Amino acid sequence: MDLDPRQYEHIVVNEKDTHNIVLSYLVHNCFKQTVESFITSTGMKQPANCLDDMDKRKRIISFALDGNALKAIELTDQLAPDLLEKNKDLHFDLLSLHFVELVCSRKCTEALEFAQKRLTPFGKVQKYVEKLEDFIALLAYEEPEKSPMFHLLSLDYRQQIADNLNQAILAHANLPSHSSLERLIRQTAVVRQFLNQEASKDGFQLFP
Amino acid sequence: MPMESGYSTMLGAKGLIRKTEFVRIIIQCLYSLGYEKSASCLESESSVSYKWKDFEVLESHILDANWEDSISTLNQIKGLTDEMRSSALFLVFKQCLFECLCHGDYSMALSLLQKQVSHLKVGREKVHGLAFDMLSAKVMGNDAINENGVSELRERLLVELERLLPPPIILPERRLEHLVETAVASQIDSCMYHNSMSAVSLYEDHSCDRDQIPTQTVQILFDHKNEVWFVQFSNNGEYLASSSSDCTAIIWKVLEDGKFTVKHTLSSHQKPVSFVAWSPDDKMLLTCGNVEVIKLWDVETGICRRTFGDHGFAISSCAWFPDSKRIVCGSSDPEKGICMWDCDGNEIRAWRGMRMPKVLDLAVTADGNNLITVLSDKEIRILNVVSNVERVISEEHSITSLSVSSDGKFFVVNLNSQEIHMWDVDGKWQKPMKYTGHKQHKYVIRSCFGGLSSTFIASGSENSEVYIWNRRCSEPIKILSGHSMTVNCVSWNPRKPQMLASASDDHTVRIWGPGRSQR
Repeated sequence: MDLDPRQYEHIVVNEKDTHNIVLSYLVHNCFKQTVESFITSTGMKQPANCLDDMDKRKRIISFALDGNALKAIELTDQLAPDLLEKNKDLHFDLLSLHFVELVCSRKCTEALEFAQKRLTPFGKVQKYVEKLEDFIALLAYEEPEKSPMFHLLSLDYRQQIADNLNQAILAHANLPSHSSLERLIRQTAVVRQFLNQEASKDGFQLFP
Repeated sequence: MPMESGYSTMLGAKGLIRKTEFVRIIIQCLYSLGYEKSASCLESESSVSYKWKDFEVLESHILDANWEDSISTLNQIKGLTDEMRSSALFLVFKQCLFECLCHGDYSMALSLLQKQVSHLKVGREKVHGLAFDMLSAKVMGNDAINENGVSELRERLLVELERLLPPPIILPERRLEHLVETAVASQIDSCMYHNSMSAVSLYEDHSCDRDQIPTQTVQILFDHKNEVWFVQFSNNGEYLASSSSDCTAIIWKVLEDGKFTVKHTLSSHQKPVSFVAWSPDDKMLLTCGNVEVIKLWDVETGICRRTFGDHGFAISSCAWFPDSKRIVCGSSDPEKGICMWDCDGNEIRAWRGMRMPKVLDLAVTADGNNLITVLSDKEIRILNVVSNVERVISEEHSITSLSVSSDGKFFVVNLNSQEIHMWDVDGKWQKPMKYTGHKQHKYVIRSCFGGLSSTFIASGSENSEVYIWNRRCSEPIKILSGHSMTVNCVSWNPRKPQMLASASDDHTVRIWGPGRSQR
């Protein structure tokens, strides 16, 4: 069974839907200026403080990406007071980012004290203990970048935490934590996989 | 007279023992027995010191917290593998680090961790673990850093180092005791008649005389009216079952004084009873009629609970599984093969087939894992019933019977070439241990394991005698006379290592015990 390309053309796409999809992507990633000009060009309506909040969120996320976790935490508390309490995992991860900063700046004694004061209170819960073991191991090396735990110092890791923080803030404001564009792409990928599997049972591949 | 050899005086008739080592382990022994004055007196009289010089130095450095000196002493000690040295250094660094933390000297602690500990070859987990411990050291607060706490920890460090370091720096615990016990154990091993648990004197080299094993007839049981083909003690040693060509089986009770009385006579078979088997919990007894049925009896009441099969069933032998609920029977009829049943007669499993030869005998090991069968007539098959792996041993002569040791590790088979072969169940042996001296050409003669730790093997014989071997030696250590005709079967009491029973064609069962001087 070959899918007729003309079938695509029979589906009607609503322009409003397209605009919403693009807008949701831009908002998610805090592209404030692009959002402003997009809204103007398309004549869409937007809630009042959407742009303000986006600004604040953008600052928070960039502090987190830079490794300035304490500032990110402070601003998050201002923007969404009980968010970190409700997201203990995230709180722990942010604090550990600060720990990593201290280690990278070779302020090891400070790092040790910080860990004792702020990280150990997370208590005896197994997953925090395991994470803490990994982080504290960084202190055993003169050159942590060359240690087996070097991935904790990487930009990729900070990016992951920053993404988590972004999603948490959005969710807290009752906005979707993932952009529609992202969800659409994921959905399409899953559907393709499934259909290919089904078709290959008959010996075909629909989407080569 | 002590011989000189280089720097060290040698002791012992063969000059194999170094005098300083000998004195040192005596000193250790005195200390461990609590004779401290004697121990230190011996140290000064002999000029042999118990503690190794290097370790003494290390000890004082550690107790005084001279960490740098401790480390360099450790590095200088000779005779350590790299692994041992690293582990010992790690322990010392760990204590040093902890003490730094207690004094609030974090940067020193961190520097130790990063510059020294990290580079020891002790494995990542230990190093990371130490980093993690640093967190809790502070949390413990200042309570732990009082003088007592710290010196106690230093003592503990020394104990751990003692456990880690090898001889000659540190002696293994109780070395002299161990050496003496090894010598005594070796003497017991070579003692052919050894059959009791009592302590052995150090004053003389140990060797038992033959009074430890059964040598005399203690009682003769006349109750059967024809040839007695089979005897077996119950697992708890309180009963004996015998079966005869007079078509009965008898359950005897073993009394406190070692005498036997009839508890039940089981008479319901129409044919000679060739075989009996006690359930592992000793509550039931199976009797096999010769090419007839099998009957299950209740031991307490003597009532026949169930009859299996019909005439012509031709069961040659049967065995119980350890749960006392399942029985396995081997047939001399190839169509029947080997069957496993529950006590209600329901078949659970069977091994049959065109190429299934006659089953001459079978047994199950006490743990229920292995089923051993003797197949017509030179083959032994050991089947692991759990993994279904089977091993085959082919003998060169016809096998008449099989008996398994109580620990399930060994079994013996009687061959009509007048040899008894012992094999291991696990199959590590290439060849069997062999025992000879008895007579066996025509009849089924059975043997068994017995005595403390199953060190002995006993067998019947066609010349009316009972033969006893120590497993280590292929010649008999004792031959018991008394019966007037072929002795068919023997059984050694599993709880009374000095009691043996034998069944003979002369219609009697004889009970054997140690010589008069022992009683």
